[in-house]
Amino acid sequence: MAAKIKDYYGVLGVKRDASDNEIKQAYRKLARKFHPDLNPGDKVAEEKFKELQEAYDVLSDPENRKLYDQYGENWRAVKAGAGAPPPGWEGAQRSARGAGPRTGGFDFGDFDFGSFRSQGAGGFDIFEEMFGGAGRGRGRRSGRGADIESELELSLEEAHRGGRRTLEMQVAEACPTCGGTGLKDGKPCETCRGSGQVLKPKTIEVNIPPGVRDGSTIRLAGQGGTGSNGSEPGDLYLRVRLRPHPVFTVKGDDLEVELPIAPWEAVLGARVEAPTIDGKVELKIPPGAKSGQRLRLRNQGLNKRKGGRGDEYVRLKIVVPKDVSPEERRLYEELQRISRFEPRS
Amino acid sequence: MTSDFDLDEPLTFDVVAETVGARRALIVRLVQRGLIETLDGPTDEPLLPRRAVVQLRRMQRLRRDLGVNFAGAAIILDLVGRIEQLNRELAEMHRLK
Repeated sequence: MAAKIKDYYGVLGVKRDASDNEIKQAYRKLARKFHPDLNPGDKVAEEKFKELQEAYDVLSDPENRKLYDQYGENWRAVKAGAGAPPPGWEGAQRSARGAGPRTGGFDFGDFDFGSFRSQGAGGFDIFEEMFGGAGRGRGRRSGRGADIESELELSLEEAHRGGRRTLEMQVAEACPTCGGTGLKDGKPCETCRGSGQVLKPKTIEVNIPPGVRDGSTIRLAGQGGTGSNGSEPGDLYLRVRLRPHPVFTVKGDDLEVELPIAPWEAVLGARVEAPTIDGKVELKIPPGAKSGQRLRLRNQGLNKRKGGRGDEYVRLKIVVPKDVSPEERRLYEELQRISRFEPRS
Repeated sequence: MTSDFDLDEPLTFDVVAETVGARRALIVRLVQRGLIETLDGPTDEPLLPRRAVVQLRRMQRLRRDLGVNFAGAAIILDLVGRIEQLNRELAEMHRLK
């Protein structure tokens, strides 16, 4: 079965004879919708944006576009000097999407950011491409590995207590067979299928200190993309995402929990067990407690990054039994008879 | 393994400029326009928190990919942050229902 050739024009939703301006407008329109910085944590949008970026990288460059129009997805190999690819090679680069040499780059006007396009130094998500190569071309930090940004999902308990997490990642490195050129003996390298890169598993141990929060960013110095020519590697930035907790609601450093209590516990007061992030504690419910009333458990909230703890707020909820025994019913009726309580007065 | 959670780590303008591959003058201009916040330091030299590096890179990406200027990028990031927060609160409210 023949592999399907990627249609960059279709990805951008433009005709094959679209002008440069039409291509740019189509890219910008779709980029606004799928940009990872506007859709944090949305993997579908991220994948879609990768496709857009790849398509735009090719079609926005007149030379690359011409080659793509002529040779399809094999244009990279042709450009790299292999000449027209042999019959049947179509689609051989599919698994190495976007990993070839980039010629993109944008006009930053008076802002001297240079090009942020990666030189293919490695990385496992879209931000690698965006972060890579900062400052290159001006002789500063040239070859430094790309910074990588990703997400780290933690449970509330992990964020509270800290701990150690092992991350398994796929990091792109220069292909050992072709040395990163994508070509071997004038033909597309079989090891990397012409991409010049191979994915290598990388294990990273992350120490999570107590007190990280949803949205916190963790920097792992030197754990980003590999630097070229012995240059220093980039950094890995992990953005913390807290999984919703089935019991607790997080309010900054404080926790909130709903605690059901019986009507008689509300009227008479009681000592009950209340859940905390560290286990159960005894809570004194004062006589005459109201539904919705919040009781504070001092220092039972989340650990703070710089020491100390937040508080836990227990929100009382008076619940009534669904089924009552004859004896209970009799007692409620007796209460109704003798009580002078007027809840609606 | 080095892990650095302190995104408030103070950095000089030069270090930030070097890290994001921008000119120092641009960083100064963005600070003057209030698009990046400085740290209150013990010295006269203004310093930037390390989180400014992350913010600048996001602004660079938005500028490159969407064609917005830096002021626009700063507003976008602020609004995205607020939307994220509201979405979290909404999800929490649904969960408690």
